[in-house]
Amino acid sequence: MRFGGGGRRARSAGPASPLVCRWDLDKTYLRSEFTTLRQLLRTALERPDQKVDVPGVAELIRALKAAAASRGQTALVYFVSASPPQIGKAIRAKLALDGVPYDGIVFKNQLEQLRRGKFRYLREHVGFKLVELLRGHLAVPAETRELCFGDDWESDSLIYSLYADVLAGRLAPASLTTILTRVRVDPLLVSQVIALATQVPRRDAVERIFINLDRRTPPATFRLFGPRVVPTFNYFQTAAVLAVMGRLRLEDVGRVGTVLVERSGYTARRLENSLDDLVRRGHLSLPAAERLAAPLRASGLLSPLPSPRSRWRRALGRLGRWRRPARPRTRSATEPGPLDYDAILARVHPGARHVAASGGTP
Amino acid sequence: MPTIAVDAMGGDHAPDEVVKGVAQVSLATDIECLLVGDERRIQENLEGVSYNPEHIAILHCRDAIGMGENPHEAMRRRDASLLVGTRAVAEGRADALVSAGNTGACILACAKHFPLIRGIRRAALASVYPRHVEYEGQDRFALLLDVGATVRCEAEELVHFAIMGAGYARRISKVTSPRVALLNMGSEETKGGETLVEAHRRLRALAGIHFVGNVEGNDLVRGRADVIVCEGLVGNIALKLIEGVSEVFIDLASVAAERRLSWRLGLRLLARGIERLRELTDYAQYGGSPILGFERLCIKCHGRSTAQAIANAVKVAAKAVRDRVPSEIAAAVAALG
Repeated sequence: MRFGGGGRRARSAGPASPLVCRWDLDKTYLRSEFTTLRQLLRTALERPDQKVDVPGVAELIRALKAAAASRGQTALVYFVSASPPQIGKAIRAKLALDGVPYDGIVFKNQLEQLRRGKFRYLREHVGFKLVELLRGHLAVPAETRELCFGDDWESDSLIYSLYADVLAGRLAPASLTTILTRVRVDPLLVSQVIALATQVPRRDAVERIFINLDRRTPPATFRLFGPRVVPTFNYFQTAAVLAVMGRLRLEDVGRVGTVLVERSGYTARRLENSLDDLVRRGHLSLPAAERLAAPLRASGLLSPLPSPRSRWRRALGRLGRWRRPARPRTRSATEPGPLDYDAILARVHPGARHVAASGGTP
Repeated sequence: MPTIAVDAMGGDHAPDEVVKGVAQVSLATDIECLLVGDERRIQENLEGVSYNPEHIAILHCRDAIGMGENPHEAMRRRDASLLVGTRAVAEGRADALVSAGNTGACILACAKHFPLIRGIRRAALASVYPRHVEYEGQDRFALLLDVGATVRCEAEELVHFAIMGAGYARRISKVTSPRVALLNMGSEETKGGETLVEAHRRLRALAGIHFVGNVEGNDLVRGRADVIVCEGLVGNIALKLIEGVSEVFIDLASVAAERRLSWRLGLRLLARGIERLRELTDYAQYGGSPILGFERLCIKCHGRSTAQAIANAVKVAAKAVRDRVPSEIAAAVAALG
């Protein structure tokens, strides 16, 4: 069963356009802990069966592939990780254990940085990820649509937004160079990014950027990135937005929710609250959320509707929500305006030197 | 997990501090919070802080009762957050209410929507306050009730307050046999007039209550009793006096530090002690005051409550629900016959 309210973006993609899902690994797929050196070492030495995935993520990836297949489309899943390739074997085994189908995985060659004596670039991933994303895009058909998945630990929202704006032709090479310099990207990688950016076909290919709020970063932090960036607190929220976009079927949302309930102790109320939160933050419209919730409620995954009096109060609240002027972030994600990268860098990289870095058309 | 309705629009710093407090609770516990108030304002505040949406629901309403409003007149405003929250608890959508709003309105709202426990004639506002600890492991807080839900009381009502306070202390402070005292103008049982003498007589005869007799004002902070019972008028004055003295002490220390170098040095030496006193008298540490006597529970927070105070109040409310404080009180009252 497909969700009835598919977004404009999904329809405009056309039935045959392949879908590419770009995933970060740590904190997005895996619950890796590396805030201390001990945790870092433990993560590096973990066996595949000791690695823990974020609840619902494996189900979501499988569902993205299955939903695309049911529409006669192809969904390709690529992982881009800043972890060293030495842990690749364990990661691949973990993905196999989880039954997650994927089409490619790239790791960051940290040894290369060590060999060059560029220690400060060991923890700088913007340049590395942008290069890999742009290379990846050059390898897929021009009409490909993309979804990006990251987390709130490092700079995923910035990396994916730059990537999306480069593909859409909203960032001139000069502006891009300024931004990358400001975040202290390895100059070698800056030139590679610029070279790749001039080669990629100009197309607004990135539909949404999902940020898993693993650190519980306040969602308001991401407003600067515009409506294309959707911060979510769990993969049920991500699945709900994807269903409304037409990228998942309704039963897929139910499956992700069921996994959270059965394996992670979620309750019907926690799922219901998650859905309400998406509506309040403007990532789901009220009618879309209601359409999504009705069958989930019927299946028992969400709580039954409250008493008639409470229902009346909820309706009143929602009426009030409709009457209020729309907040800027509720505007359509299909028409993102130019991002203010100066403001973004001031927030995301407060230590970065100030250089005028606003987006501009090439 | 219990669901706690929180009046998001009540208090001097509402909704900002209230929402922040609930956000803290959502990250640290599994308590379900139902924020009652203007959804748009609540959401704006929520998105600016770290929170876990899985534990937070919002019940929208447009109105709010001001801190200085006449409580009786405020009861007509059915769409005020306090009244909507109280109704949500009465209807079973939440298990307890937390509010930092208008105290009078809070008590009236509870009286309007929550049934009194069978056998209880009047509810009481109980306040947790810091006291001197006499022995290792003694709870550093005592319970004083009533501090404002009533003005004058009859002897029987004071007995009920003693039962309610003892029940609350047993469940929340985990004092197995809380010592109960009557606040009076002398320790002799004949002091204080007809009502207090009668209350003393009844309490002494009461089984199941560890009654230690009368205590005077200077015993309030000495730790002689875990639960001190009095009329609302007296309790309110006593509580405000304790708060006022500690605030003046801290203020005097700050002023002294600015005046002379020698005083500043002296205060520097006393800094740890002053900080200990500040911690001890900080209302944010103990959350709020329970309104006891109803079948449903309400924790009334200080009007100036910060996020930490709200968070602690929500935790206290959840603990009281889990430990079934109203049931404990009901059982104790039923045992009276």
